[in-house]
Amino acid sequence: MTYEVTIEPTGEILEVEEGQNILDAALRSGVYLPHACGHGLCATCKVDVLDGEVDFGDASPFALMDMERDEGKCLACTATPMSDLVIEADIEFDEDARSIPVRDFVAEVVRIEEFSPRIRGIFLKTEGDTIDFQAGQYINLYVPGVERPRAFSIASTPDDSDPLELNVCLVPGGEATTWLHESLEVGAVLKFSGPYGRFYTRVSKPEPFLFLAGGSGLSSPKSMILELLGAGERRPITLVYGARDQQDLYYRELFEGLDERHENFRYVPVLSAEPDDSDWEGMRGFVHDAASEIFDGRFEGMKAYMCGPPPMIDACINTLMKGRLFERDMYMENFFDQSSAQDRVKSPLFKTI
Amino acid sequence: MANKLNMRDRYKLMTRLGWETSYQPMDKVFPYDSYEGIKIKDWDAWEDPFRMTMDAYWKYQGEKEKKLYAIMDAFSQSNGHLNISDARYVNALKLFLQGVSPLEYQAHRGFARQGRHFTGEGARVACQMQSLDELRHVQTQIHGMSHFNKYFDGFHDFAHWHDRVWYLSVPKSFFDDANTAGPFEFMVAIGFSFEYVLTNLLFVPFMSGAAYNGDMSTVSFGFSAQSDEARHMTLGLEAIRFMLEQHEDNVPIVQRWIDKWLWRGYKVLSLVSAMMDYMLPESPMSWKEAWEVYFEQNGGALFNDLARYGITVPDYAEICTKEKEHLSHQVWGILYNHTAAAAIHTWMPDDAKMNWLSEKYPDTFDKYYRPRFEYWRDQAENGNRYYSQTLPLVCQTCQIPMGFTEPDDPTQISYRVSEYNGDKYHFCSDPCKAIFDFEPEKYCHAWMPPQQIFQGNCGGEGLPAVLEHYKFNLGADNMDYVGSPDEANWNLWKGLNGSVSGDVKAS
Repeated sequence: MTYEVTIEPTGEILEVEEGQNILDAALRSGVYLPHACGHGLCATCKVDVLDGEVDFGDASPFALMDMERDEGKCLACTATPMSDLVIEADIEFDEDARSIPVRDFVAEVVRIEEFSPRIRGIFLKTEGDTIDFQAGQYINLYVPGVERPRAFSIASTPDDSDPLELNVCLVPGGEATTWLHESLEVGAVLKFSGPYGRFYTRVSKPEPFLFLAGGSGLSSPKSMILELLGAGERRPITLVYGARDQQDLYYRELFEGLDERHENFRYVPVLSAEPDDSDWEGMRGFVHDAASEIFDGRFEGMKAYMCGPPPMIDACINTLMKGRLFERDMYMENFFDQSSAQDRVKSPLFKTI
Repeated sequence: MANKLNMRDRYKLMTRLGWETSYQPMDKVFPYDSYEGIKIKDWDAWEDPFRMTMDAYWKYQGEKEKKLYAIMDAFSQSNGHLNISDARYVNALKLFLQGVSPLEYQAHRGFARQGRHFTGEGARVACQMQSLDELRHVQTQIHGMSHFNKYFDGFHDFAHWHDRVWYLSVPKSFFDDANTAGPFEFMVAIGFSFEYVLTNLLFVPFMSGAAYNGDMSTVSFGFSAQSDEARHMTLGLEAIRFMLEQHEDNVPIVQRWIDKWLWRGYKVLSLVSAMMDYMLPESPMSWKEAWEVYFEQNGGALFNDLARYGITVPDYAEICTKEKEHLSHQVWGILYNHTAAAAIHTWMPDDAKMNWLSEKYPDTFDKYYRPRFEYWRDQAENGNRYYSQTLPLVCQTCQIPMGFTEPDDPTQISYRVSEYNGDKYHFCSDPCKAIFDFEPEKYCHAWMPPQQIFQGNCGGEGLPAVLEHYKFNLGADNMDYVGSPDEANWNLWKGLNGSVSGDVKAS
C-alpha cells in the first residue's frame, strides 16, 4: 500500500510506502526538506498538513505539542501518512523546476552506436507519447534479468527525444551495463519510467554556466547545452569534459562544431591517460585541474553543473570551493533510489554535496 | 483574492524587519562587526537556521514551559529525590547549577548583544531568539534544582559562588573571554565550538546521567532544552558557513578562533569528565567513550566537510586523544584534594567503581590511578583524609590548577611559562600558552583565584576566612561525602546503615 503525498509550494508528488515517514520518502525522491535530528526531537522538520490524515509517530511532546497536533502540524521525520496527503513545507519555490509526473514507458531499441570502446549509445523509440522531461533529468531503465532498474541520464533534448538517447558506460562487473553492452540488440523492447531528478539548468538565474563532466556523464550536459544554445542562450557556457584518451572522447566533432559556431560556448576536452607521444594538442590531466587552469582558480559568480564518476565530482567540489563557489551554486546529478537516503552518510554541513 | 502566503514568504515578512539607516551611516549604527577583520559582502546570503517567527516562538515556548513545570511539580510532590540512585549523584547537579547554569545566563547576555550588533537582520533575529532560549534554560534549571536545594547542601548560593569560587572560575573565565570578544568571535566560540561541536559532551553526560540515576526532573528539562538545542547547533553551523563563504580572508581568522575555542571548551569540559566517571553512581558511558563518539567520530565528519573550505582539525587534537585516557582521573584527583574549598563533595570510588574504571581505561587506570586512589582511600578510612591546605598554581588561560601531565609522560606535570611585560605567566599546556601568547593583553589581567586570595581580596587570610567570604556552610557544603550531612540524611531517609536519628540538614 502506498500513499501519494503532495508537497506545497512546489507541487511535487511523492509515493510513500506504508509505514515510511514523509522525510525519508522526500529525501529518497530528491526533495530536500529541512531536517536535523531525524528522530522527532528537534522540530526542524515541522510541516503543515493541509489535507489528509497522519500518524504523528514518535514525535517528542516538546518538539510537537498537543496544540500543534490539533492545528495539523506534524514532524516529517516521524509522521507516516494514513491517507493521501497534501503538506506544506518550508522549501524554496524554484521557478526553473517543472513538476512532471513520473510515468511508465515501453520502448523499442531502434539504433545502437558504439561511441567508444566503453561507451555505447542506445536509441529508444517509445510506444505512444514520448516522455516529457527537463534537460538533465534521468530515467530508470529495466534491464532484463536485473532485479532493480538502473538510472540513465537522457542525452537527447526535450524537443528532440524521438528516439530517446542514452549513453551507457560499461562498468566492469556491472550486471546491467554488461548486458546492455554485450546482449542488447536493435529491436529489443525495454521498459523504463521517468523523468527523475533535480538536475536541470537554472536558466532564470543570471549566472553563466559551467559544465564539468567525465565519462558517460556527458549525457546530461549534452542535452542541457544543446537545449540552451537551441533557445538562443547568450551567456557564457563552458564544458570541460574529461576522458581517458582520444578513443574515449566521444561527441568531439559535435562540441567542436558548437564551439566554432557559438561565440559564447567553449569546449574544453581534457585527457587523463593519453599516451605522452600522441598527436593530442589539447589539455591533459583531470577535469578539476583543467577547470582551475582555464578560470585561474576563481569560480565566483558562476553556476556549476557536474556529472561523472564520484571521485571526479568530489575533486571538482573541492576545486570549486577553493575558488569561492559554494553549495548554493553547485548542481550535480544524484540518482536517488530506495537505499540511497539511508546509505548516504549525513553531512552536518551540506545538503546535497 | 489574496492567496495565503506560503511558509517561506510568510517567514520572510515576519523576520526581515531591518532597513538601511539614513540619519546615520550603517557602519556607525553597527560599529562592532568589522573590527575583527571578518569581511561580509552580502548579508542577504545569510540563511536562517531557525525558521521560526516570534509569534510562534512565544506560543510554543509557553506551551513547552507549562508541560515542563507540570513534570517538575509532580517530581517535587512525589519526593522524586528519594528515587535517585544515591545521594552522591546530587553532586553532579550541584556542579551543573554552579558551573553550567550561570553559563546559560551568560549565553543569554552574549546572544542578546550579538542580536544588537550584527548588521544583518537575519543574524540578529536568530541571536535574539537564542538569547531568549538561554534565559529560559537558566530559569528552568534553577527552578528544577530548587527542589534539590530543599534537601541537599551545595545549591543555596550558586550565583554568588560562580563569581568567586576557584574551580568555578574555569567556566566563568571561559564565558567572560567569549563575551568580551567581538560578535563574530563570539559566534565561533559559543555558537559553533560550544553549542555545535562540544554540546553533546556536556548535555549527554548530564541528561543520560540523570536518566541512569533516576532523576526524571532533570531528564525532562533535557528533553525540553533539546528541542531548542538543534536550532542552536544549526545557528552555530550557519554562522561558520556564512563567514567562510563570504570572503577568503575570513578563513584564517575563523581557523584561529576554532583552534582557540575548541581548546577552551575542551578544558571546561574536563570538569564534566570527572563528573561522568566519578560522580555518577550509574554511568551510561565513560568520558573516553563519549569523547570518541562525540568528538572523534561526529567532529571528524564535520571537519571532513570543513576541509572543503580550507579549515583543518586543530593541531592539538592529538593531545586530546592522548589525554582522554587520563583527563577524568586527574581532574577528580584535583577536586578530591581541594574539596575543603569546594561546594561539592568528593570521595574515593568503591571497588565496583574502580573495576568499572579499569574496564573502561584498561591502559591507564590500573597503572597510574588505582594505586594512588587506593592509597588515598586507605588513608581516609584510617582517619587521615587529606585536604590540601595550600593554594594551587592555576593556568593563566583555562584557570584549572596545574595538575595535568605531559601528553607523552603521565608521570610528569606539564608546565609552560611565558613572559609578558616583565611578569611570568604559567600554563598547563601548549595550546593554553599559545592562546595567551597571541593575545597576552587579554589574559594578563585575568582574575586568578589564588592570586586574589593572596592579595587579600577574598575575605582575608587563611581558608576559613576565604570560605566565609564564599558563603559556604562549613562542614556541610564542602569536604568528603563520607561524614557529610548529605550522607547522613540520605541514609536516614532510605533507612540505610549508619543512619542517625533526627534531621541533620545543616543549613
